[in-house]
Amino acid sequence: MSVVWILGALFALLLARVPVAFALGGLGLALLLLGGFSPLMAPQAVLSTLDGFILLAVPLFLLMSNVLLKGGVGADLFAAVQAWVGHWPGGLAVATILSCGIFAAISGSSVATAATIATVAIPEMIDRGYDRRFVYGLLAAGGTLGILIPPSIPMIVYGFVTEESVIQLFLAGIGPGLALMSGFIVIAMIHARFFGGAEPVPAASWSERRRASARAAPSLALAALIIGGIYSGAFTPTEAAAIGFAASLVVTGLWLRTLTWTGLREAAFDAMATTVAILLIIAGAKVFGKAITLYRIPQDISVLIGQTIETPLAFILVVSVVLLVMGLVFEALSMVLIMTPVLLPAAMGLGFDPIWFGIFMVVMVECALITPPVGLNLYVIQAVARARMGEVARGVWPFLALMLGTVALLYALPDLALYIPFKL
Amino acid sequence: MALLRTAFAALIRALAGIAAVLFAAAGAMLTYEVVARYFFTAPTIWAAELSQLCLIWGTLLAMAWALDARRHIAVDAVAGLLPDGLRRITEAAAMLAVAAFSAVVAWHGYAIFATSFARGRTTGSMLDLPAWLTELAVPLGFGLLGVQALIEIGRALSGDYPRPREGGAE
Repeated sequence: MSVVWILGALFALLLARVPVAFALGGLGLALLLLGGFSPLMAPQAVLSTLDGFILLAVPLFLLMSNVLLKGGVGADLFAAVQAWVGHWPGGLAVATILSCGIFAAISGSSVATAATIATVAIPEMIDRGYDRRFVYGLLAAGGTLGILIPPSIPMIVYGFVTEESVIQLFLAGIGPGLALMSGFIVIAMIHARFFGGAEPVPAASWSERRRASARAAPSLALAALIIGGIYSGAFTPTEAAAIGFAASLVVTGLWLRTLTWTGLREAAFDAMATTVAILLIIAGAKVFGKAITLYRIPQDISVLIGQTIETPLAFILVVSVVLLVMGLVFEALSMVLIMTPVLLPAAMGLGFDPIWFGIFMVVMVECALITPPVGLNLYVIQAVARARMGEVARGVWPFLALMLGTVALLYALPDLALYIPFKL
Repeated sequence: MALLRTAFAALIRALAGIAAVLFAAAGAMLTYEVVARYFFTAPTIWAAELSQLCLIWGTLLAMAWALDARRHIAVDAVAGLLPDGLRRITEAAAMLAVAAFSAVVAWHGYAIFATSFARGRTTGSMLDLPAWLTELAVPLGFGLLGVQALIEIGRALSGDYPRPREGGAE
């Protein structure tokens, strides 16, 4: 029954606050030593992880997002979208979600998306009399579109550990991303209709619309360049990230002239810190993954699940509950890295497509990002809005329900994800 | 001793700055690669390999700073509930575990480096760089991380442990 004590030891280390990367790597190394396997596998696993070309996309996408955030493109983007839809019922909320969706097509990070749009949207919405809790929930949840609409760092990580195509994962995220975005917009309009109270925004004139759109055009062009380039095969996701970074420097530094040297330094330093944290967890997970495979843990769990869970529906329900509960206390990406190697063999045994399963995991990660007490997007909104955690956390419930609804829809209609990569 | 610690803190902070520059440089090289390929039909043989080298060295050199700056991701939910005395002890124990892990990886990482160096092994890729050029980053990075973890044990016992939520990833 080595499954029980290995997972027990892992959770004990994690809860004692050993950094996730070193808890995974350290336990993996201990298992290698105990099992009489060569400990040289540990440094080799670290090297082979960092030698992955696809993972170079992580710092580069982060650099691009951070440069755009520091260059203040969020304000231009929001102003442009607002000029078009601001006068609709719940117009500012709709504009917020659309802005999150567009920025998500540039950025691979939910934190960067939430931070970029929240900085401009929150003050504006609150000034116009929107309910605070609703605003915070909307931004925390809208930010998670950043990792479902390509590019997406969690998808890069999932693709790397499962050796699936990152491009197919990206394409599979588009359908569910648009579905979720539409759902958010519906919630925003229903909220405006029944809980109203927000001061309406007058429709913008055509000249205002033209001016605002022109200023946001570089961001839109950037999104088109990245998605178009990856989709057409003109460049790899890693190259797209590099070009996106270079283009973001041109847009904010030369065209809009909003990027300062200090801003650039902060952007680079912050991207570096986040990259190091993410890549080391992947390296740690690789050491751990090697060790548990030698102990045949994934196979044992797969057999166990095969014996107790008979239908794919029951499997997805159980896995969703487990991920939801883990997501309460776990940092989201670590959750993917710990659970994917354990669950994917069982999922494939039940007939799930590994790309579909990746998208399912990403939506569950989005839930983990906004469930208290530990949800990264909650912290972002709390910090940007200088709000109380409780207020932010209470605002996310309707959006969380919608995300779980998206999971159900994804289960009922797998083509929502798989149509674009495989059947188009 | 205090002087040594200040010097070490300055060193790992400088290495973190170098890591940030290396990542940005990787972006520049790959952009150049795409531009050269499409506009001058002259793909490079060095961009992919050198940018990968930037990623490896940058990540491993900045690890120790990330521990000092509390930028590694950890699960705070339970540890945050412990009373101060117990919290100091668990944090010190956690850092002891990190130190032990670093020491073992640094040791075996050094063995890999030393073998490659002695035998003159190369990567067998386009540039055919010496293999030790990447492998050296492991013992150096984990060595620095181990030293920082030992410093963190002292910090934890004196009550200077990470407060809830200071960094995060995706």
